Amino acid sequence: MPPADVRLTVEDLVVGFGGNTVLQGVSFSVARGFTGLIGPNGAGKTTLLNAISGYVSPTRGRVLLGDRPLTSLRPHRIARRGLGRTFQTPRLVPELTVWENVMLGLDGHIGWDRKRSHVVSLVRVEELLRQLDLNDWRDHPAASLPFSSQKVVEVARALAADPLVVLLDEPAAGLGPAEVERLIEPLKRRVEERGLAVLIVEHDIELVTRLCSRIVVLDFGQLIADGAPAQVLRLPHVVNAYLGAGVAAVG
Amino acid sequence: MNPAVRYGAIGFGVLALGAGVFFAPAYLNAYLMYLLTWIAIYAIAGTGLTVLMGWTGQIALAHAGLFGVGAYATAYLAGHGWPWPLAALTSSTASAGLGALVGLPAARLRGFYLAIATLAFGELLHQAFVQLTPLSRGPQGMAVVPIQLDGIDTPSLVWYLAMVILAAVMVTLTALGRSRIGRCLKAVRDIEPATGSLGISAMRYKLLAFAISAFLAGLAGAVFGQLITFLTPDLFDLPLLVIFLVQLFVGGVNRLSGALIGAIFVIAVRELLQSHVVSSLVPALVGSGQTLAFGLTLILVVRYLPSGLASLPARLRSRRPRPATLSPME
Repeated sequence: MPPADVRLTVEDLVVGFGGNTVLQGVSFSVARGFTGLIGPNGAGKTTLLNAISGYVSPTRGRVLLGDRPLTSLRPHRIARRGLGRTFQTPRLVPELTVWENVMLGLDGHIGWDRKRSHVVSLVRVEELLRQLDLNDWRDHPAASLPFSSQKVVEVARALAADPLVVLLDEPAAGLGPAEVERLIEPLKRRVEERGLAVLIVEHDIELVTRLCSRIVVLDFGQLIADGAPAQVLRLPHVVNAYLGAGVAAVG
Repeated sequence: MNPAVRYGAIGFGVLALGAGVFFAPAYLNAYLMYLLTWIAIYAIAGTGLTVLMGWTGQIALAHAGLFGVGAYATAYLAGHGWPWPLAALTSSTASAGLGALVGLPAARLRGFYLAIATLAFGELLHQAFVQLTPLSRGPQGMAVVPIQLDGIDTPSLVWYLAMVILAAVMVTLTALGRSRIGRCLKAVRDIEPATGSLGISAMRYKLLAFAISAFLAGLAGAVFGQLITFLTPDLFDLPLLVIFLVQLFVGGVNRLSGALIGAIFVIAVRELLQSHVVSSLVPALVGSGQTLAFGLTLILVVRYLPSGLASLPARLRSRRPRPATLSPME
């Protein structure tokens, strides 16, 4: 049985495509709050998110949400068990309004979870639009939004179903400093309020160190470090594999 | 616009339209009523394609066959003493079941491969109309028992029936498009890989769209039987599929109004091509030449007006010059 605050456990996960092994026996856990997942391009970060959320079938190992195994479940069933996620490029329905796109985060859950009534859904969407400062855009089609707002809408949609764990794939990529603040501050508040567990893939190390109480580092599909940011970012093999001497000072 | 004025205008429009539909048989000649009924029937069938191809992004080429299932099954059941509404509902439901069956390959097939699979299913249905002579009477054809209601002649009754069904379908689908189901269908069309992460089973919604589309095709086919009164397999062959596709793309694939606009277009063009003037000038456009003309129209529309005629008002609005604004320097 995992400790009470651990929401997601990855055990000995192996993923291969053809002859290539992309993830090699990765094990770690995600507790409440933010956990950072970093590593160089091609390290297997997005593959790991895909394996956790059911988009890729692992050849070995398992994933637990709380104490319930997710392995071999299809993505929509995993989402209904309480796993939300975003993608590197926002995947919104262009013709639907912001309100409708956020609502879409709940639509797949209604009817499966009897606790989620329509009224509760409406209230939650209104709350998210207000918290993430999206009210001005609510009736605009997603296609008309700037890229930064599309990213915020996707995060709001991932949070709409009140998941136990959220996987964020490079939420700050392509955003300016002010836009990052606009996304991150309300996200932090929401995570604290709801006691969410977030696994965040991000190349902005300053942001990762600011948000996360723990960092896991992948390199060539292997977990090479797992611990508090201040310790992990000073490890020589992490610096060599990913950061470079200049960035290591940030940690 | 003030909401009271807006709702008043809508109410007045609905009343005027209702009155027009009600009194049309009294003022229009029988042939024109026949064409208008045909338009309404094609519009019902077209809305099914809007749901499936426009909203859900699936390619389905069995629509003519499923239209035929509705026509034949309703005629068969009504011919065996079933009340017409029950026969039509049962046949449309059977058509929906077959539609879901057509949709099963959609779990794994996409694009060209799905098109071929559904086209083959449509052809299979057409062959069934030819070969299953105990049910369909094959190429000899099947007479349709006309519906009757005291005080109304059959053609007027079929007109009212078609328009009531069309109105009900339009209202229902408009609500559906704005509902949770409508949003999920559009998500399957635009962001299918991401739907899983939202708890949405893309397969479930694809099957639902196939079933809704086939139900509407079957329902339209049931009314079509009453209009045409005699069914033969060639009515539900490839040329009808081409007409449905032209209707869909000319009208506008994403909009329900496109199904109606497209239906008006295909019936009007067909009448034009059959008119004495055109047929004497270009004899090739009579008969199978019509399919060729529709096929060419389809190519031109997909190339130059991909969103269809229903999108024209919005396109024109976006091109209208905006009032000049003064920059701070001025």
